Amino acid sequence: MTLPFTHVDWAAIAPLEVLAATGLLVLLLDLVLRPFAPRALSLGIAILGTIATAVMIGQQYGTNVAAFNGGYIVGNFSVLFGGVVLLGTLGALALMGRGGRDRESAGTIALLLWSACGALLLAGASTTMTVFLGIELLSLSLYCLCGLADRASAREAALKYLLLSSTASAVLLFGMALLFGASGSVALSALATPAMVGNPLFWMGSGFFLIGIAFKLSLVPFHAWAPDVYEGAPLPITAFMTVVTKAATIAIFARFAYAALPSGASQMLLLPVWIVAGISMIVGNVGMLAQHDLKRLLGYSGIAQVGYILAALAGTTRVGLGYAFFYLAVYAVMNLGAFAVAAALSSGDAEEGTKLETYRGLGARRPLLAAAMTFFLLALAGLPPTAGFLGKILILAATAGSGYLWLAALLLVGTAISLYAYAKIIMAMYRPDHRVRVAEAVRSAPLPWVSLALCLVATIAFTFYPLLPTGLLPLVK
Amino acid sequence: MLLALVLLPILAGSAMLLTRGEDRRAYRAVGVAVALATLAIAVAARSEDWSVPWLRAPFVANFHLGIGTLAFWLIALLALCTACAVLAVDSARPRALVGQLLLLEGTMLGLFVSRDLLLFALFYDLMLVPVFFVLLERGEHPRDAWRYIIYNFAGGLLLLFATAAFGVLHGTTDVIGTAGNAISGTWAPWIFWGFAIAFLVKTPAFPLHTWMPNTYASLPAPVAAVVGAVQSKAGLYGFFVIALALMPQEVARYSGTLIVLGSISLLYGAVAALVQTDAKRVVAYSSLSHLGLIVIAIATQQPLALAGAALYIVAHGLFTAALFIGLGYVEEREETRSLARLRGIGAKNPRLAGALTIAGLAMLGLPGLAGFVGELVIITGIVQSGNIAVAVVAVISVVLASAYVLRLFQGIVNGPVVHDLPVRRDLTWREGIAIAPLLLALLYLGVNPHAVLAGGTVAIPRAPLSSTSGVPTP
Repeated sequence: MTLPFTHVDWAAIAPLEVLAATGLLVLLLDLVLRPFAPRALSLGIAILGTIATAVMIGQQYGTNVAAFNGGYIVGNFSVLFGGVVLLGTLGALALMGRGGRDRESAGTIALLLWSACGALLLAGASTTMTVFLGIELLSLSLYCLCGLADRASAREAALKYLLLSSTASAVLLFGMALLFGASGSVALSALATPAMVGNPLFWMGSGFFLIGIAFKLSLVPFHAWAPDVYEGAPLPITAFMTVVTKAATIAIFARFAYAALPSGASQMLLLPVWIVAGISMIVGNVGMLAQHDLKRLLGYSGIAQVGYILAALAGTTRVGLGYAFFYLAVYAVMNLGAFAVAAALSSGDAEEGTKLETYRGLGARRPLLAAAMTFFLLALAGLPPTAGFLGKILILAATAGSGYLWLAALLLVGTAISLYAYAKIIMAMYRPDHRVRVAEAVRSAPLPWVSLALCLVATIAFTFYPLLPTGLLPLVK
Repeated sequence: MLLALVLLPILAGSAMLLTRGEDRRAYRAVGVAVALATLAIAVAARSEDWSVPWLRAPFVANFHLGIGTLAFWLIALLALCTACAVLAVDSARPRALVGQLLLLEGTMLGLFVSRDLLLFALFYDLMLVPVFFVLLERGEHPRDAWRYIIYNFAGGLLLLFATAAFGVLHGTTDVIGTAGNAISGTWAPWIFWGFAIAFLVKTPAFPLHTWMPNTYASLPAPVAAVVGAVQSKAGLYGFFVIALALMPQEVARYSGTLIVLGSISLLYGAVAALVQTDAKRVVAYSSLSHLGLIVIAIATQQPLALAGAALYIVAHGLFTAALFIGLGYVEEREETRSLARLRGIGAKNPRLAGALTIAGLAMLGLPGLAGFVGELVIITGIVQSGNIAVAVVAVISVVLASAYVLRLFQGIVNGPVVHDLPVRRDLTWREGIAIAPLLLALLYLGVNPHAVLAGGTVAIPRAPLSSTSGVPTP
């Protein structure tokens, strides 16, 4: 008997194997060493494992291997998106020092790592089968993680996420089935033939596929779940979802848009996506205005930010992909920074740092944290000297360059609205306020501070030394 | 050196914000020292050029710093105004105020030394942040901070869009200081209006001015002095080095619109200044009026008008800063800015009254002070360009200016001493030194305008003056 896969295939997914094994190791050690401070140990192992994975992924840069019969393609694209996924995982792990029960921490961390495995798989997935495998691995772990906090909103969040995300998966799967019917192959690249343009199955399949993706990306009109789920989930999990889920799903969308569509149909098929992206920028930013919870606010912000990232892809140009990735990485950093500030203000399950009430007068009480939060909020709004500014200008260049002027205009309008929402928090922090003191963590955990500082440095450094990726294409082999 | 010019005030200001303590003397001393050091560096580094690559795609952008002719005068104005403003700070919490003033100076220095559009756009947005925070912490109403940041950020976004589109079409944004028709075709109007609206918001000009009176009235006097005197010039500077230098065809095509907007600002600002009861708002609306005149001068593209505009930009900065600082002194002493309440400063505080009078006369356009030369040269230029009707409007506004300045001074300086207002001592040495350099500079430029007019005249590389003989000797 011969194995269907060679060692080349297994070597290609070696980083995933390490990450999955780290999750197992965390669980096993927790079993043995439960009496001895398991949380710090689990966290340490998880962080080391994630960094090791990141190093291994980094070593794949510049290679181009199609493993598992083209199911998983290692290349710059998978390396870079995998990097963002691991960045988000590290950022989320750094926030896990507090909150939740100690005896559950190992399980939580293991689930988080496996979820990240799913996201890593998506970064390289190039057949419908691997795409579905990755999405389910990512989501199944998240369903559990969302419901971890001991409050009604958490249970609601978990159930809502389970129902809606499963529905989206079903739609996605149906689309994949139709696409398979059209091309007779699970490979995404098999769709990029001129014969597909006249095939109704292809159009229907692509439509369902894109609707499923839009669901996962929480694009308008499929966005309503995101703020609710983000509000209910524990803080680190929300941070994880806003970055990792988005990065992985955008990777899939980009691969589909760039590599799976016949050139005759591509622009017509994707036009609704650009329209939806434009509407998301407006709806997401307007939605932020009425929020009283930081996680909800960042949820709405995320809806808009995905819109910006997709705007860079409009016209599916080579440069646009690079800028979309750049903005995604920048978004990950500034978003994780904002979450780190919230975590530094939280003492545990109460998560004081997620209530906007806590930020009243923060500038006088905790000047450093207030300054950091201000910085990240201004970065999200796109003010200099943050990389958010440079990211926006690159997106504008890409969007305008490929002729989507209306999308650029929506981006400008959305950004102007967003500043209003972000500045509301800044204002609350710095207006002198003599009302009753609000509850907040007096002593902060150290890890959020580390994460915060790194994010801050990265957000400035990306402005002045932008690492614009090259050689992302081709996405299929 | 150029990098140090930008970084010194920014680092000093940031460090100041991180310190503790509220020793007024120490903060003032450091602030003045930094501001004067920037002036010295600017003079020493005047011919330097510094460039480091930034972006290679989608367009070439560099960290390119250099000092153009107009930029040099604006930098000198900025450093002088900052030094005076810092010296005039008399708050119980001087740390944040001086720190923000230095940050403001640093970001605006960055703007004026940028030779790259992208860098220009970066500083254009960045310089909003210190003012926003001052408004938040010390403004009279939260609404003022909102208006300021939303309006100006919206303008900044248009600038961002125009910069991106310019870069994509032209291939590089490293263009400030060069000249020529960089952009043409269907995109040119969009890009031009992206720039123009951003600049008109900042200047401001009608109908984009509504943030301005509240902001100026709400800001503490020293910050209002720097914002009113120099930040408002960022838009006009942008018109000079970007719109005029790089897209003169578009300026010519839309000069009618710009002239109409400028004329409305000119008249509307003057009329509105006549009816304000808040002294700071009088100065704010007068600023709308005066800067409208400069917008008209730019729209005509007449070399003489442009030369006058460059001089008037500096002159307006000097007297606006002096007036805001002076009105700040009045407010500290009388605890009100209402023209309905104030009377008789001349009897109580003659030195303060004298300083205010000189600044006011400069604003009114009295011969011998710099404001007069600027107005005269601009109006002569407008007449030369054939826009007689516009020149008439400008002259009317000059008459109105006399009316509102005299109303301001009758309100504050003349009249009997009001007995329910506090009586405080006259200007101290420190306060006097904080306002005197501005007044001296006004006088100097009034009798020797060639310092600005003739020294290469204007930073428009495109349109060298045919000969300096075109500049009248007043």
